[in-house]
Amino acid sequence: MELRFYIIRRALILIPTFLGLTVLMFILFSLIPEQLLIAPYLSIHQTLPRAYVVHQATILLGLNLPLPLRYFKYVWNMFHGNLGVMNLPGYPSSVAQAIAISFPNTLQLAIFSTILAVVIAIPLGTYIGARPNSVADQTGRIFSLSGYAMPAFWLGLLLQIGLGRNVIPGNPVGIFPIQGSVPDVAVAPPWFNNGFTYPTHIPIIDALIHQDWSFAYGAFMHLVLPTLTLTYGILAGVLRFVRAGMVDSARQEFVKTARAKGVPEREVIKKHIRKNALIPTITVMGLLLAGLLGGVVVVEEVFDYPGIGLLSVLSATTYQVYGVIGTTLVFGIILMVANLIVDVLYALVDPRIRY
Amino acid sequence: MAETTVFKGRAARAEVRVRKRHPFLEDFASTFRAFMSNKIALVGFVIVLIYIGFTIADLTYPYYLGVHNINNINSFNPGGYAAAIPTPPFVLPPSHLKGAPSWWFWLGTTEFQDPILPIMLAALKVDIVYSFIIVGSGLVIGILLGSISGFLGGYVDEVLMRITDIFFSIPSLVLAIAFIYVLAQRGFSGLDSLVFALIVIWWPTYARLTRGVTLSVKNMKFIEASIASGATRLGIVFKHVIPNVLSPSLVQLSLDLGSIVLILAALDFINLPIISPFVPELGRMIYNGEQYLVSGIWWPVTIPGLFLLLFTVSVNLMGDGLRDVLDPKLRG
Amino acid sequence: MNPGQDEYYVRVENLVTRFFTSKGIVKAIDDVSFAVKKGEIFGLVGESGCGKSVTASSIMDLIPDPPGRILSGKIYIDGFNILSDLQKLVTIKIKNETNVKIKRHKRYLKRHNLVLSKIRGKKVAMIFQEPFLALNPVLTVGDQIMESILLHERIEIANAIIRRETMGVDDIRAFTEQMLKLTDAEERKKAINNWVRNFGVSEIERSVIDLFDNQKDPEIIVREIMRLVQEERTGINVRNMARARDYYKMQDQLFSLNLKLIDAESRAEAEVMDIQQQLNNLMVEFIKSKGEEKEQIGKRIKELRSQLRQKRKQVDRTAIKQLRKEISSLRRKMNISFMGYRVKRVLLRKRMDKPFRVEARRRALELLQLVNIAEPTRVIDSYPHELSGGMQQRVMIAMALASEPKMLIADEPTTALDVTTQAQILDLIKELRRVTESSVLFITHDLAVIAEMCDRVGVMYAGNLVEEATTEELFFNARHPYTQGLLQSIPKLPANGTKFQKLQSIPGSVPNLIYPPAGCRFHPRCPYKMDICEKEKPRLIDVSKGHKVACWLYPEGGVIK
Repeated sequence: MELRFYIIRRALILIPTFLGLTVLMFILFSLIPEQLLIAPYLSIHQTLPRAYVVHQATILLGLNLPLPLRYFKYVWNMFHGNLGVMNLPGYPSSVAQAIAISFPNTLQLAIFSTILAVVIAIPLGTYIGARPNSVADQTGRIFSLSGYAMPAFWLGLLLQIGLGRNVIPGNPVGIFPIQGSVPDVAVAPPWFNNGFTYPTHIPIIDALIHQDWSFAYGAFMHLVLPTLTLTYGILAGVLRFVRAGMVDSARQEFVKTARAKGVPEREVIKKHIRKNALIPTITVMGLLLAGLLGGVVVVEEVFDYPGIGLLSVLSATTYQVYGVIGTTLVFGIILMVANLIVDVLYALVDPRIRY
Repeated sequence: MAETTVFKGRAARAEVRVRKRHPFLEDFASTFRAFMSNKIALVGFVIVLIYIGFTIADLTYPYYLGVHNINNINSFNPGGYAAAIPTPPFVLPPSHLKGAPSWWFWLGTTEFQDPILPIMLAALKVDIVYSFIIVGSGLVIGILLGSISGFLGGYVDEVLMRITDIFFSIPSLVLAIAFIYVLAQRGFSGLDSLVFALIVIWWPTYARLTRGVTLSVKNMKFIEASIASGATRLGIVFKHVIPNVLSPSLVQLSLDLGSIVLILAALDFINLPIISPFVPELGRMIYNGEQYLVSGIWWPVTIPGLFLLLFTVSVNLMGDGLRDVLDPKLRG
Repeated sequence: MNPGQDEYYVRVENLVTRFFTSKGIVKAIDDVSFAVKKGEIFGLVGESGCGKSVTASSIMDLIPDPPGRILSGKIYIDGFNILSDLQKLVTIKIKNETNVKIKRHKRYLKRHNLVLSKIRGKKVAMIFQEPFLALNPVLTVGDQIMESILLHERIEIANAIIRRETMGVDDIRAFTEQMLKLTDAEERKKAINNWVRNFGVSEIERSVIDLFDNQKDPEIIVREIMRLVQEERTGINVRNMARARDYYKMQDQLFSLNLKLIDAESRAEAEVMDIQQQLNNLMVEFIKSKGEEKEQIGKRIKELRSQLRQKRKQVDRTAIKQLRKEISSLRRKMNISFMGYRVKRVLLRKRMDKPFRVEARRRALELLQLVNIAEPTRVIDSYPHELSGGMQQRVMIAMALASEPKMLIADEPTTALDVTTQAQILDLIKELRRVTESSVLFITHDLAVIAEMCDRVGVMYAGNLVEEATTEELFFNARHPYTQGLLQSIPKLPANGTKFQKLQSIPGSVPNLIYPPAGCRFHPRCPYKMDICEKEKPRLIDVSKGHKVACWLYPEGGVIK
């Protein structure tokens, strides 16, 4: 019972934060000179008379209204799925649509990286945490440190050099594609149009659903290098905290109680120590996720991976106003939701929190 | 043995000798010693010092690199557009500058025959100085706002918490991009907008930290007594909050140094149009070198990256060592 | 190894425990010996830091390693010396106080811990000082109690379930006849309780008791009980349960074989050690002597040397080898015949565990009632932080009693509680001792609690046991200066309206255990200090029946003061 209340409470707190987010975005939005706000509309509707476009855009953006009302107009537009327009080759002109296309790719990348990192980090961290100051421990520490300090884009480049196809001629392990997210097929499969794959919009899963194995394989190969790059960073962070959590938990009094009951050592580690060690780990996941999203931006740029990160970068480098603001907004929303999920996980693991 | 005996004797007459002690200095000395005993952190610290040493040399005596305008890569090799292919390390490019010291070319050159090594050293200045500025300003602003909010409590505190929440709910890199973009439209030039944007992004961390410390200090009973006997709130801030906030801030600061340098490099790497491509910066060097990857020319990419990695690893080692030393002290 | 023959359930002999820290070697326990009789409450009292908690932890070998280790000594629990293989576990090289190299022999440590994990919780259980910290915050209280039950009581539970499912009318008839012979209601209750336990039908205990109270006709009783039992049956596959039970039985066998092995090994080694020692002594003499003596001693040495060699060979050939063989063959048998069972268990863990968990839960509820917790069903699914301090401590006690250990170690169980709760817990412990007839090692620094609870008391100071006596004897006739000081420092209300006296205390403070005082560790604070106290440590000797003191005021064979 309490769990449900807790979730509702956390979700409610999101609302003012979300509003604050929109306010922030609006502040940035309003700092931009008018011409730049109208320019994208002009470049999109080249065929229509200029004055007409300007007039319509002004009404749409509420530029004729006083500032506070403009804010409401802005939020109104946002809720109606209108995040502006942009002019990027290869993307639809509606920013909202462009984001919608790119989102599943980013989701795919982020989820796979996180899952891979967690699945490796927890057992590894448990093993290392149970042997403090051993060789494994030192190695783990060095690895964690390098993960924190590693510039993600650089690692991506290194992976491209080392494992990338067609980079170094005659490279025996150069098998992974270094760009894009879907394989080049002469004829696009029927469930792939407009940049969307159906039904789940996640390329690999859709390919598997449609039993197009070669497509799935291609999509998988395209995922490998970006995922490895991202996983490296997350893994380092999670590993460090799992290890620290294990060491801290092992010092607690209840571990002694468990041993005094005659619980065999392996079970003490798994059931008692590790369960408690996961609590600080999950706490820190929220922060790691913020870093993850930042990494996503850079990694997508390096690998030309068509996700929201790439969209954001392209918008910034080609002066697409709405692209920049829109993607930033969406990133904020993603992070808020992710934090909510982490909070829920935290409450699931630690019963003390549910009140 | 049934009679009671009174315990007298030497033990009861133990002397109590009082010596004048300087707790603050003693503390510092023992912290310092503890830090020094951690060999790995020490290595990190030394390396960071070396980097900073180069930066200071750069700032005070820019001509040590033999260059006249450090903010322009081309000043290393003016007119060096001759050959557009990088030369490998330890090889002198065919059209190398007359009188350029040979150590410049130990690590090869970029595509415009600009020697990598001195540019990296010059790039240090940008990265380190600017990150110091950013972190320093963020620290000051954060401490200010955090202590105010912590002290006043209530409405003000809630508002600050929401504001910091908003900043925390957007990934720093993304927000940085947006900020820089907007600021650039308003006319701020390149790196300045970068610094400003990052300061705005960074202060919430320190504000939160300070607020936490302020709250815990506020709850101690002797504060009431102090206020009752006339201590001003500002006085309390200086006397109690600041010393307690120094240690965690120091740790955070040392780790942030690394993070900011990484973000600066990342922003340069994605070729944000705001930043002039001629300012020496590690991220930009990597960006420039990216195009040569397919031809098997690896050094414009790997070497600046290694340089950067070495710096961030050292900073993290130092920060970790600091944390190990300072944290248990906090826990008492 | 003679379980059941001793009047002492736990015996500690010459225990030495040290902690190897970066600041030096803490000589926490320095040759401590005492014993706890079956069914008695033995108190261990002393100031903070005197080593009583460390002693308690040492008994079950719960010393955290690093940084601590039991260096030598014997600890007999129910006749078995758990420190038999102590020498084989680690090799320690001490260069100076801060430079110590410890090499741990993993295989032996593993075997040692395996054996101990069967003893801990089952033969001896421990409850701790701060119940909130000692309970795992992310597991429910019920989970933690059931953990203990599921570790040690599986065979019993399996048997109970099998009996329940296969019980026949004749068994019930025999039982009914027995019961009807018992006229005393209390006795009958006890017997019924026993029976329902053994036959896994605890649910119907109440009904059965009522039945015997109200009914006299055996046939009706038998029929009624049969009906009740039928209702309780779950139709579980008895063969599977028997298989599981056999598996656990084999594990138990393995365990006791290991016990025997360790014992045999240690005995053989003792013999070798013995000869080695003789040899060493002779060597010393050899060096000192000359001429004709030297020749003789030389011959004797040769003899001993060959004896040694023989003994060493014997060590390999005797019972040890036999036992080792038995163990490995048992293991092989287990692996082969129970392979299917094992695989099944990995795949269907939850389903196979279910009947055990059901019964364990029932027992846990019983335990909670036993410790006077009002709403067991609510508490069993609560988390520790949802309970009050007193309840948490009761839960700890319930957890400790889950496997019916014959000895409970209570490490300052009431120090963290308020006085009323403290009284309740102490009463509870006394009551439980009465019902289960187990011994209690009660550790505290509060003399009042000692006076109320304990049959015998041991006083510890700076890692040594300085006095041991019955409670009465200690309070009225304390011999050791430290004990006297402790007793004096209790504030007393003066009689007859005389003025309050100044609070007496023992001047000085507890010594640093890294560099403890030479000789008797109490001598810097002792008002009766003599020269010998600084040089030699007094041993614990009897001064009167059951009253031992370690003080030079009472040297062996005579009292000075």
